[in-house]
This record gives sequence, C-alpha cells and structure tokens, in this order.
Amino acid sequence: MALVNKLSIKVAGLAKSYGGETVVKHISFNVKKGEVFGLLGPNGAGKTTTLEMIEALRPIDEGEVTLEGYDVRRQPYEIKKIIGVQPQDAGFFEYLNLRELLAMFAGLYGQQVDADKLLEEVDLLAKAKSQVKHLSGGQRQRFSVALALVNRPQVLFLDEPTTGLDPQARRYMWELIQRIRQRGITVVLTTHYMEEAELLCDRLAILDDGKIIALDSPKKLVEQLLKKGFKKKVERQAANLEDVFIDLTGRSLRE
Amino acid sequence: MNLGAIWAMTKAFTKAFFRNKVALFFTFLFPLVFLVVFGFIFGRDSTPNFEIGLINNSETELGRGFQEYAEATGIISFQTEGDREGFETKLGRGEVDALIILPEDFGSPDASGLPTGELQLFYNQNDEQLGLAITSVLESVFDELNESLLPTNQPLKIAGQPLQTAGLSRLDYVFAGLVGFSILSLGIFSMSEGFMQDKKSKALLRIRLAPIRSWQLIVATIANRVIVGLIAIALMFVAGKLIFGFDMRGDYLSLLLFSIISLVCMLGFGTAIAGWAQNANQSSPVANLISFPMMFLSGVFFPVFLMPVWLQQITAFIPLTAIVDGLRLITTEGQTIFDLGPQLLIVAVWTAVLYAVATKTFRWE
Repeated sequence: MALVNKLSIKVAGLAKSYGGETVVKHISFNVKKGEVFGLLGPNGAGKTTTLEMIEALRPIDEGEVTLEGYDVRRQPYEIKKIIGVQPQDAGFFEYLNLRELLAMFAGLYGQQVDADKLLEEVDLLAKAKSQVKHLSGGQRQRFSVALALVNRPQVLFLDEPTTGLDPQARRYMWELIQRIRQRGITVVLTTHYMEEAELLCDRLAILDDGKIIALDSPKKLVEQLLKKGFKKKVERQAANLEDVFIDLTGRSLRE
Repeated sequence: MNLGAIWAMTKAFTKAFFRNKVALFFTFLFPLVFLVVFGFIFGRDSTPNFEIGLINNSETELGRGFQEYAEATGIISFQTEGDREGFETKLGRGEVDALIILPEDFGSPDASGLPTGELQLFYNQNDEQLGLAITSVLESVFDELNESLLPTNQPLKIAGQPLQTAGLSRLDYVFAGLVGFSILSLGIFSMSEGFMQDKKSKALLRIRLAPIRSWQLIVATIANRVIVGLIAIALMFVAGKLIFGFDMRGDYLSLLLFSIISLVCMLGFGTAIAGWAQNANQSSPVANLISFPMMFLSGVFFPVFLMPVWLQQITAFIPLTAIVDGLRLITTEGQTIFDLGPQLLIVAVWTAVLYAVATKTFRWE
C-alpha cells in the first residue's frame, strides 16, 4: 500500500487507434512521485499521443490511466486542475503581454498568480510587458513552462522542451527542470536527445512503434547493454565539440 | 460553473480586442463611415428642390419681381449668371433642371392695363416628369399672381397639405437598418474571423489544457463581443445625433436590452460557423453564404415591402428582419421592449437553435 501511495501516474494497457491504425499499443508504466520520467523514441513512436491521453486531452480507446488518484477517463477536469502542460504545438493569444497572459490563465484555474515572481523564475521579468511574438524561441519555450506552472501543478508535462533551442538555452532549460523537480513536482517529459535524458531523467521508457521496448533508469539501461557484451568504439576524448562551443560562447543566455 | 474563469477570458479578450487596430477599424469606424455616407444621401430634406437657370430679358416690374416670387416658394432656386448657350450645356449635363427665359415683353401691360406675358421653359426631353413637375410649380406661382391681379372665385380647389408620419426623415428609417448591419457584421464576420485566428495560432489549444469546457469559452467570447458591440452601437447613436440630428423616439433601456439580445442572437451564427470550421477556407464561404442573403432580405438597406409577397413571408422569419424591425419600432415609433413580442420570439427561437448547433459542432482545432 505504501508503494501505491508513492505513485503519481499509473498507466495500464493504454491503446489508441486512428483510422484503423493502432499508434499506441497497450502500454503500461508507472511514474513515481517527485521523479523526472522520460518518454524517448523516434518521431511517430506515439510519445505525444500517449502524453495527450494522460493529460485528458485525447479520448482513451482502451486501458486505464490514474493520476494522483484520479481516473483520467472519468475525472478529466480534476486531472486538468492539478497538472501543468507545456505542449509541443500550441500558440498564444495575440495582443496580450506576458503578465496579462499569466493572469488570464491563472483565472482559468480560479487562482491568483504572482506573475512577476513566476516570470523571474524563468528569467523573463524584463519581458513582462512584451507580447509573445516579440520573444525568441528559447524565451517562448521558457514562457510556455511558466504558463504550465501557473496553477501550481503536482505533475508537469513537457513535450520536447528543448527541441530547436541553442546550447545555452538548452542548458538553461535543463537547470530549470532540475529546479522544478527540487520543489517536489513530478515531471514527465519527451525528448529526442539522449544526453538530455541521461542528465535529467530518474527513469525513462523507450517507445518504438507504439510499444515500450525498455524501461529503467538511464544507468541501468546502459549497464544492461554492456552486460550483453556491447562495446563502443571509443576514442578517449576528455571533451567534445559541444564543450568547445560552450567554452567559447559561454553559458549565459543569449536572448 | 466557474464565473471567475469566464470573466478572466472576457477581460483578456476585451483587452486584446482594443489593441487590434484592424478589428477596431472594422468594428467602430466602418459603421460610422457607412452612417455618414447614408446620412448625406438620405438625411437631406426630402422636399424636391429645382435648380433652374434664369435669363431675364424683361425690364418690367413683374419681370423683376418674378424671380423673388418664385424663390419664395422654397422649391425653386435660380442661377442667373450665364447665357442661353451656357445654360443649355448645363441642362445637358444635369447641372440645372430647367432653363427659363423671360422675353423682353414679359409683364408689359395689355389694352386693359393688366400685365401679360409668356414665360419660356426649356427642359430635357428625357426628363418629361421633371418638366411636368416644374411646369406645375410655375403654374401655381402664376395662379397666385393671376389671383392677386384679377381676383376670381374658383369653384374647385385642391387643398394640399404635406404630411409626414411622426415627422421622420429617411435617415431615421435607414438608421435602424445600419445598426442591424453593424450587428450582423459583428456577429458573423468579426466573430468568425477572430475565432479562426485563435484556432489558426493554436491559442485555443492552450485554453483547452485548463479545466475549461467549450461552452465556457463560448460564453466568454460572446460576452466580449457584446461589450464591443454595445460600444459600436452607442457610437453610431452619438454620431447620428450629433451629425444628422437623428430623432430617437424610444427609451434607451429598451434599446440597450434589445441590442444585447440581438447581438447574442447574431453572434450565434459566428460561433456556430467558427466553432465548427477548422480553418478560414471553411468558415469564410459559409459566413458569406449566410450574411449576404440575410443582408438583402431583411430590410437593412431597402424596405421589405418592395419585395414580392411570397418573399416577404419568408423574410419575416429571418432573425435579422426581426432585429431590424425591433430596432426600428423602438427608435422611430417609441415602442418598448414589451411591445416587441413577435420580434423577440423569432430572435429567441434562432438563438436557441444556433447555440444548440454551436455547442454540438464545436472543435478546438
């Protein structure tokens, strides 16, 4: 029983089809409270569809999802109240500045928000009066995370949070995710970048063709591979090109 | 029912609306431009006024007095600068309605000492009607002159008196149509375009992440547009009153209530179209297909009674007809909201149907 209480999300036999084609094939996994859980996989593996079913945005064809004790199918609005979502593909209302957008979205949850504090957390306080169209890609992504935190969620979903960002912005996002985790928020993220998954995720599931083909901590997954006798052609290098880039251009944000 | 969430959206949408210059132009300025154009066309005094070229060759007292006498009718004004050739050119161009020549002997006394004379009137042969009208005006001028010179007792007379129902100018009549047109374009075009923009930018998807139901979004959007619409209507009334002396006969509370009800009804079209459509390629043909027939069949720009009877029977059930009729009854006949039962019934039925469709067919993307 104690173990059950520690689980944030339980996914059992989850499936989804579009026009006769099954894109998510009866997958099951659990996410523990307070961990960073990664969903990895090539494009079209079913990551986003899986996330959207858990987030109560897409009808579930088969299977059960429980989040913080709520049944996603039966209590979608209860789920939405306690989760934060940074979608891969959503826009912003025009003609409103960051502060006004935060105030409006807090209102959607019936809450008040200290917009400036939230903007400071994502290093955007200087842009409080700007409209989203005047933000750079990295700033937009950070604001998207701030919006996802507006209702003080227990679980935060990040769909490809660093895709398309430059090395500085990506590093900043990593630090931000680690800070969020330290506050005890459960984080579920998808990514294409293995070094990102290795750095951030306590555990991860690798999805391919709608099925989970591996699920463990990054360290254990590597150990399992090595046990099979895998050997990488290694040229021992104390640094790589990314290290060079960061050394030359610095860590500070460029926007 | 989370009123706070709805108000949060209404507030934000309204703020955003007032920063959108294109929307501001089409919502507030465009109807005023319409109003000014129609005001100058229809707002003029509707009494006919004839512009007539006059060449007065007569030196007699009657000849000199004629101009003054005819102008006193208020129906004729003379241009006296020019020769015959010049006036004939002007007549051809329609710059003057007719040309009058008073010959030299006009007004010279006959054997009995009474003045006599023959006035020459030239008018465009294509404008027989105009010529006859001017002839009859001049005849009545001459009748009065004859009467004063040689009093007789004529057995048959026409006692003509001008009569205007409630003293309305044509602008007062057209005004309700213009307000109706404004409500139509706000309800259908402005609503569906704004909504499609938020669908296209996928801003709506972000709303959907929150515990918000589609009807709450719809209510917030409607509230925003009603606020905007009432401001637009108020501006039209202010402009109508200040510039054209528009004559409002009814009470403003009835007008306010009926305007809100009308806006909500017409916004139902925009909501149903934009809620259903996935992109502007779907929404704008449907919006046009609904708006244009409605605009021409509802007595917005010309009276319904000019249409064939069978068509009138159909148009009576179009919501915009009821809206324009209702507005007209308030503004020109001083009726209150309680007198508008039939109009309110039609608007209510349409509102119910439209929002039932809108909530059923709504799509977030």
